[in-house]
Amino acid sequence: MEKIHHLYWRAGFGLSPREWQARQGLTLQQALDQLFQEAGVVEEAPAPSASSREGFRQMSTKEKEVILKQERERLGSVNIEWIQRMASSRHSALRERMALFWHGHFACQPIFGSLGAQYTNTLRRHALGNFRELTLAIARDGAMIRFLNNQQNRKEKPNENFARELLELFTIGRGHYTEQDIKEAARAFTGWSSNLAGAYVFRPRFHDYGPKTFMGKAGDFDGTDIIDIVLEQRETARFITRKIYRYFVNEREDEARIEALSRQFYESGYEIAPLMRAIFESDWFYAPQNIGCRIKSPVELIVGIIRALDVRFVNDKALLFLQRALGQVVLNPPNVAGWPGGKAWIDNATLMLRLNLATYLFQLSEVNFRTKDEPEAGERGTALRRLDATIDTRPLMDLLAGVRREHYHERLAEFLFLQQPDIAAALLQQYASAGSDWDYANSLAMRLMSLPEYQLC
Amino acid sequence: MKRRDFLRASALASTSLLVPSFLPAAFGGRMSGGRFGKILVVIQLSGGNDGLNTIIPYRNDAYYRSRPNLAIPAAEVLPVGDELGFNPALQALRPLYDGGLLSIINSVGYPNPDRSHFRSMDIWHTASDSSQYLSTGWLGRYLDSECAGCEQPYHALELDDSLSLALKGREHNGFAMSDARQLKRTTDNRFLQAVGKAAHDHEHGEQAAYLYKVMVDTQSSADYLFEQSKVYPSKAPYPLTPFGQDLKKVAELITADTATRVYYVNLTGFDTHANQKNRQGRLLKQLAEGMQAFVMDLKQNGLLDDTLIMAFSEFGRRVKQNASGGTDHGTANNVFLLGGQLKQPGFFNPGPNLLDLDEGDLKYQVDFRSLYATILENWLGVKAPKDILGGEFGVLGMV
Repeated sequence: MEKIHHLYWRAGFGLSPREWQARQGLTLQQALDQLFQEAGVVEEAPAPSASSREGFRQMSTKEKEVILKQERERLGSVNIEWIQRMASSRHSALRERMALFWHGHFACQPIFGSLGAQYTNTLRRHALGNFRELTLAIARDGAMIRFLNNQQNRKEKPNENFARELLELFTIGRGHYTEQDIKEAARAFTGWSSNLAGAYVFRPRFHDYGPKTFMGKAGDFDGTDIIDIVLEQRETARFITRKIYRYFVNEREDEARIEALSRQFYESGYEIAPLMRAIFESDWFYAPQNIGCRIKSPVELIVGIIRALDVRFVNDKALLFLQRALGQVVLNPPNVAGWPGGKAWIDNATLMLRLNLATYLFQLSEVNFRTKDEPEAGERGTALRRLDATIDTRPLMDLLAGVRREHYHERLAEFLFLQQPDIAAALLQQYASAGSDWDYANSLAMRLMSLPEYQLC
Repeated sequence: MKRRDFLRASALASTSLLVPSFLPAAFGGRMSGGRFGKILVVIQLSGGNDGLNTIIPYRNDAYYRSRPNLAIPAAEVLPVGDELGFNPALQALRPLYDGGLLSIINSVGYPNPDRSHFRSMDIWHTASDSSQYLSTGWLGRYLDSECAGCEQPYHALELDDSLSLALKGREHNGFAMSDARQLKRTTDNRFLQAVGKAAHDHEHGEQAAYLYKVMVDTQSSADYLFEQSKVYPSKAPYPLTPFGQDLKKVAELITADTATRVYYVNLTGFDTHANQKNRQGRLLKQLAEGMQAFVMDLKQNGLLDDTLIMAFSEFGRRVKQNASGGTDHGTANNVFLLGGQLKQPGFFNPGPNLLDLDEGDLKYQVDFRSLYATILENWLGVKAPKDILGGEFGVLGMV
């Protein structure tokens, strides 16, 4: 069960107490098969209605502000829908987890709600498919085209933004291309644009049909050719595999394993699902040094707590607030390089909020946290004084059926931690309720969830 | 006993009990003689302050042509030179300017300017090129390189609930605190304090050890800063705005000889696309009155010579006004320096050239990173600012 637990924290978002119990009898192989089987269906997110952007350019600043505010709200609802998906057992945990990974990789800040939904669906659709298809779909995604200004990439005046990030961040990485390669790639992507609804449109008038020289090859390349040439380089498979290894296995890299995996990835023609299976089926994935060594991202932490305590927020916007306060807002990564992750999540403010989060939910006590200002808002950031939410700890307490009171903490810790925290039972008991079994168990869960080790998965 | 001596003695008395035993030895030395050292206060004006309506080229026809409704009439400008004058809302800065305590650097920016708030602010925070993405800030890297041995995060303190990228380093982070009392409440979890105390007895993996360290540091810092915040309750007349009160807290900590070298304060709302005149006027007034109270407070306590203040914004605004009585995102902007030890008070360089624009925007004359280099080397005593800034940007003479 420890292995299945670890698998679900990396390939999904942890387990609710019920899911945890339901998997008690499974072998690792059965759990893996189940994960991949559930991921077989792509469930797309509903797109919010789009504001009419007819004549947006001609609008006055005030009119624009109204629309942009509306769109921020819609983006917020796409964000909330996604977080709730990650927390729900009705959606494939593996597919949503892969989509979140690719979101950090092909990082993008969609400006409209409809573009946001479309972009997450692009990620979802290809999350376990083929990396070439994924890259191509992203190059044609309206949200990305706008984010990296490719609608301004025209024959007479190429805009190199997309071409640069394609090489530097999305495929092969720094040090394996020249500035000239970027210029030539930018020419190949001229005319790759999108219409008002965000759908991909190729504009032949703006496309540069002339011959190009890219990575030592010459031809009348267009964007698709550029992607194919980059993917012919083994370095691209290495770059992507390394990133996957650091995210799903361990920030501490193992060169030999990364090399072997990247060879397999390359030879499969960049098929993602077999690569992920190879990782999750390996023995080393379950080695002690790879378990519980990852600092949960804010989204992992939030989603994990929702699953563990069946949290329901009175106002779902609390989810946006928490993401902002903890430093990771889905659909709003800091820049095109995505979230740096690891220790970068942690400073004194985010850590204390993380440690106190479970306590706030158990006790509905005061939070008093103000997020950073939004420059457009013209006012100080939103403050949260209290997290209005209900929690249901009955499923969690069900795990204690048949367990004697003096072993409650051990049983709860088994469920809450990947690596057992080194804390004296006496200390825990000293700060737990001396009341009924129910009160005692709940206070234990609250204390355990405020330990620094709860931040790890 | 003189007032200053009394303050020092009481600061010593109250902190010596509270300074955690694992504080580095350097702190002990500080207490017997002299102050903690040079202090930098960074003021961030978020949203993109309109520099042209802050420091006004009131004799420039191009300025009045570009802004028929938004320009400040020459008669209302507070002239401080033949060409340039203050926005009338900066009245409170006038005596500081006259007293040689203010230096203004015009046209500060960087090549290939980015007009997105977030991106441009990131560039200012990380001191990167406009095509480069860094995940650490310039002050965070200062903590990394110059702070070997001084493990306390409150060497760089941001007056806010969350920490800006500027103060995040690879090894060391700055510290965020909007209010010492409130911070103390977040660490007032007796269970976690007991866990922190017991943590030394246990072996932790690398990540867990890091989390424990940050937790324990935060707990002890919260105690230390709470005590420091009570040492010197300032009587100076600070504005009651959040910004004014933030500066008051900073002055109180500086006066209490807190072991903090960098303070970071925010003032927001400068994104004036519409109805700019009133809104910017209100903000500039807050800024000027807050800074005046702050400077005079420090001066009275003989601390202004040890303090350098820098106020910046992520970009200026377009030269031409827009159709909504405001201005859109622009590029280069002016930066203010204040302090008792300025080498070149007044204007460091002439105002921007309004006839030589880049697609309607000002061209930068001074790279903001040369300003950082100057502050790091000439003020904070960093030997090789290029190691922090990732390149040579030249050191200017104003500090």
